[in-house]
Amino acid sequence: MTANVPEAGAPSAVPVAPDGEWLRVHPASPFVRGWVALAAIGFFFGRDFFERLLQGRPVFEQDFAGRAPWLVAGGGIVLVVTVLGFILTWYFTKYQISEGYVRVNSGFLFRQQRQARLDRVQAIDIVQPLLARIFGLAELKFEVADAGESAVKLAYLRMDVARQLRATILARAAGMVPDPARPQEAAPEAPEHPVLSVPPSRLIGSLLLSEQSFFVVVGGIASVILSAVTENRGFFFYLIPAVLGLAASYWGSFNKGYNFTAAISPDGIRLRYGLLDTQAQTLPPGRVQALKVAQSPLWRIFGWYRIQVNVAGYGAAGSNGETASRTTLLPVGKLPEVMSMLALVLPDPGTPEPGRIFAAGLSGLDSDGGFVTTPLRARFLAPLGWRRNGFATTDSALLIRSGRWWRELVVVPHQRTQSMALHQGPLARRFRVADLVLHTTAGPVSPRLTQAGLDEARSLFDAQSARARLARKRQISEQWLATVVPAPVVAPVVTPVVVPTQTPLPQQSPQQEGPQRG
Amino acid sequence: MRTEAIDPPGISWHRVSPKYVTVRLVQWAIENLITVVVLTLPLVFVLLGWWRWPPLWLAITVPAVTLVLAVWRLLLIPRQVRAIGYAERDDDLLVRGGIFFQRTMTVPYGRMQYVDIGVGPVERGLGLCTLKLHTASPGTNASIPGLPAAEGARLREQLAARGEARLAGL
Repeated sequence: MTANVPEAGAPSAVPVAPDGEWLRVHPASPFVRGWVALAAIGFFFGRDFFERLLQGRPVFEQDFAGRAPWLVAGGGIVLVVTVLGFILTWYFTKYQISEGYVRVNSGFLFRQQRQARLDRVQAIDIVQPLLARIFGLAELKFEVADAGESAVKLAYLRMDVARQLRATILARAAGMVPDPARPQEAAPEAPEHPVLSVPPSRLIGSLLLSEQSFFVVVGGIASVILSAVTENRGFFFYLIPAVLGLAASYWGSFNKGYNFTAAISPDGIRLRYGLLDTQAQTLPPGRVQALKVAQSPLWRIFGWYRIQVNVAGYGAAGSNGETASRTTLLPVGKLPEVMSMLALVLPDPGTPEPGRIFAAGLSGLDSDGGFVTTPLRARFLAPLGWRRNGFATTDSALLIRSGRWWRELVVVPHQRTQSMALHQGPLARRFRVADLVLHTTAGPVSPRLTQAGLDEARSLFDAQSARARLARKRQISEQWLATVVPAPVVAPVVTPVVVPTQTPLPQQSPQQEGPQRG
Repeated sequence: MRTEAIDPPGISWHRVSPKYVTVRLVQWAIENLITVVVLTLPLVFVLLGWWRWPPLWLAITVPAVTLVLAVWRLLLIPRQVRAIGYAERDDDLLVRGGIFFQRTMTVPYGRMQYVDIGVGPVERGLGLCTLKLHTASPGTNASIPGLPAAEGARLREQLAARGEARLAGL
């Protein structure tokens, strides 16, 4: 444990440093992160020894006595340099939470100072890779609205410290201020109520019924036929890498999606998942920029859906599997679970009968639930989808549904709309239809209303601008508690108690090391 | 300026400077003439008898088709430039463009994160600039090319001031 946390009286409570004190991550963290380097050193110097041992040759050759000091010295130097590097990295990595900012200093040759505003938090994750989990450590990731890397990464902290820090950050971000009488007291962790969990059997089923499995079966049949026709037995050897890749892919999905649970707390939506590496995400209220509920034809058999979201800090899901799992709000769920997740993301659906409208968005056709679809005249442009492609608006969100076989429902809250564009190509002009594209932050969801009637699209374009404008005006603060509870207890973010002097932050200077104990 | 079907009614669009056609012509020349020249090389070699492959008809067709497409794009440039328009409304900026594939975009002032002005070598010679708007979304690909430098500076200040007044979070 970091030396600057004093022994507390109560064993259960984690002591919290007073505002502004610089803290260090757990001393073991560089070893947990850099175990590969240590293992490589061990391998490099130990390989020869083990090979001899296995081959039954004498472990020490005749001239070994001459070489041994050099070997030991070389190995020792590499080891010492690595460990010294680890210790220096640890020593120079410090973090601090004060005055609405979280700051991290790191690096000893190339120093880096970074600060992020707490009320700009978009999401906060606690990640536990397997090795860290064994040692009871965890990594804290703090995301702001920059689709690049995480704004703040603290690896590794003790699990209870990480949770405490998350609670503190979320409480500050929500607009709560520490009690001036008892600044040492930790922010209480917000109570949470479990909402749903995905049983492993359903997760396995969803993997077996994925499009990937479909192509595996098709590819398998094709290769059997091919090898039978060409009578080439060696053909199967070419499939071995493919099988390995597929197994890794299935395992990755299973490992990531295992034991998925969602819970709601005043801090936002909590997601937990993972078999070996576990992850706990917290999405504060109102941080979901856009949401997509999708159902593939194979999943329709069991009525399963997947929900993905755009969150400003998470970025676009590329080939990186981690982003893909972080942007998944529900890996596989049935209709009631989809509805409860929708209720969490959109606490105010803006309509008296949300169930009917969302159900129509998920599986409806034509004008069920008040959806406006592609006009009849343009059915040649989308012979299957024209009865599905459509939109509906509530007071708080725009719903775009599409796809007859691959069903999709995209929900964009009005106050999250960034900009909009109407698109029309020559063919669409001929049929008097247009596409409306809503721009949101980078992520797996890209809302596009396809082939809406021209007049409907144009009036939606205007109305949507107006609605987004109104919603922006209503949302005044990033601090979600401040918007919900306008009580004087929450408001004094600007009282002199909290912002005592606005000091010029001497901690920011590069040579700062802090008068820390330890 | 003619209002297209997807444009909101009652908007008086500002056109970009007609001098922007020159910028596009230079771009067109650099892109297309080089392509055509490179694609004509096999024809020359075949005619000189240095190369046996490709056959003559292929060596003629490929650069010919490229040339026709290039000329077609050249003829479109003045119309494309005329189709670019922008309009400042009370709460958002409208940007439109395109002839065949038309696009009308609205960017609320409160959503603008920052505004860029870029000036290329040809643009500088003509006293033009390109204004680029950025929101939190990578999909907002709103740029207004071919603005006179003074108008670009005015627009930038105007957008910054309006964005300041209406700034919203994400």
